[in-house]
Amino acid sequence: MNIFHDANRKQIAGRRRTDWLLHILFVTATSIGVIALCALLIDILLDGVTRLQPDLFTNFPSRKADGSGMKSALVGTIYMLLIMAPVSFIFGVGAAIYLEEYAGKNRFTRIIQLNISTLAGVPSIVYGILGLALFVRLLALDKSLIAGALTMTLLVLPIIIVSAQEAIRSVPKSRRDASFALGATKWQTVSRSVMPSAIPGILTGVILAMSRAIGETAPLVMIGALTYVAYLPEGLKDSFTVVPIQVYNWLSKPQVEFQELAASGIIVLLALLLLMNFSAILLRNKYQKNV
Amino acid sequence: MEALININKLNLFYGTFHALKNVSLTIPEKAITAFIGPSGCGKSTLLRTLNRMNDMIPGTRIEGGIAIGGTEIYSNEVDVETLRKKVGMVFQQPNPFPKSIYDNVAYGPRLHGVTSKKALDEIVETSLKSAALWDEVKDHLKRSAFGISGGQQQRLCIARALAVNPDILLMDEATSALDPISTLKIEELAQELKDKYTIVMVTHNMHQAARVSNQTVFFLNGEVIEYSDTEKLFSNPTDQRTEDYISGRFG
Repeated sequence: MNIFHDANRKQIAGRRRTDWLLHILFVTATSIGVIALCALLIDILLDGVTRLQPDLFTNFPSRKADGSGMKSALVGTIYMLLIMAPVSFIFGVGAAIYLEEYAGKNRFTRIIQLNISTLAGVPSIVYGILGLALFVRLLALDKSLIAGALTMTLLVLPIIIVSAQEAIRSVPKSRRDASFALGATKWQTVSRSVMPSAIPGILTGVILAMSRAIGETAPLVMIGALTYVAYLPEGLKDSFTVVPIQVYNWLSKPQVEFQELAASGIIVLLALLLLMNFSAILLRNKYQKNV
Repeated sequence: MEALININKLNLFYGTFHALKNVSLTIPEKAITAFIGPSGCGKSTLLRTLNRMNDMIPGTRIEGGIAIGGTEIYSNEVDVETLRKKVGMVFQQPNPFPKSIYDNVAYGPRLHGVTSKKALDEIVETSLKSAALWDEVKDHLKRSAFGISGGQQQRLCIARALAVNPDILLMDEATSALDPISTLKIEELAQELKDKYTIVMVTHNMHQAARVSNQTVFFLNGEVIEYSDTEKLFSNPTDQRTEDYISGRFG
């Protein structure tokens, strides 16, 4: 007896066709993203690779494209990172520790939590306006490096808080119990038991937030970072520029040479971003091995 | 044997849930007292009131009293850090820190201010010896505590608890995640430790209570049903519910 005699071959063929069509659809969806990214990268590389020369890193921007560089922008970005990283780490991780370990789970903390999650999605230009009102005007910091760095700190804080909270939350409760049961105080438990397990995850979040910040242009345009800076900032109150603003400046010029410079600026920025994301991945892998 | 812990008309609520009902017990010094009963009967809850680990669960409310060595542990006289130093705890799942074996044992003493390397070395060695783990790990104290077996990890947790020099050791189903051989080792260890420490253990396993403990308390729905010498409770229980439970008719 043929146990397969009642198979509805026609119906099965239809099911298989749907399966196959959707397979194609999903592959297309994936490739569109990848192809667009590759096209962008290739286009930029072709445009900018000729300008990727020592001049780009050692010279200040100039009216003439030849010999024009982005030294001031690169240094500005690095200075901003140097201010932003510790400030946002301290406030972001501090807030995360408070919310996860100290705060009671009541309506008040739920409202704060909701606010933080919402802030993480607020358009960056809004932070620019806030920075303009708060740092540039109210605190009279002017269009300075410190005003820019603090504005960027505000921008990345919610991201850092949320990711640090996740890292802290992922530390098993049993590790806290073990510490408390030995007579540890809250801070001893947080600093000796929770943080060592959470810190790689927190650092990953901080690095990713930093890499978002160095690519941001809008808030800095808003607070008045200059587009043409032919000197290095020497103090916190000096005016400054950053890589994406320099790129924006070059792009707005009609000459082909400046377009090429912009492309090479983008390459540098991308390389920096890749480097930071790569270190975040390295950290995460190390973390997974330890646990 | 003298009574070390006096529990007097203790009521505990988690929010509106009445988890412990009018519990009165005395727990003798330097002996093993076992808490038995079906899941949710309140035995672990009572154990966790002894070192105030329940304090951390929001909505917990306590009435009545617990005195250890004559001092009321829920009064202002006692700070919780000192209480937990004196009343050590071992948990159901071995929960070493992701640190070296040495740093796990030294964690407690360091919390309480021991910094000298020599003093720490000594504490680590005595504690590991007391927990019958020293011979197995003495050559690799710097290795991660995650590299040893589950049974060894649990003995490491006992060593870690002993390192702060407690008087009482609470064991919250400390063998339920372990294989039979590791369980046996921990039971033997408990027998040795009772000469120096007062041990209170919660166990799911009636046979373990019968094998190891001196006193047994049977809980049901948050109440103490019967409390007596282990031998008497298992051979000649006075309450019908105790008899039903130990003969396996429920639970």
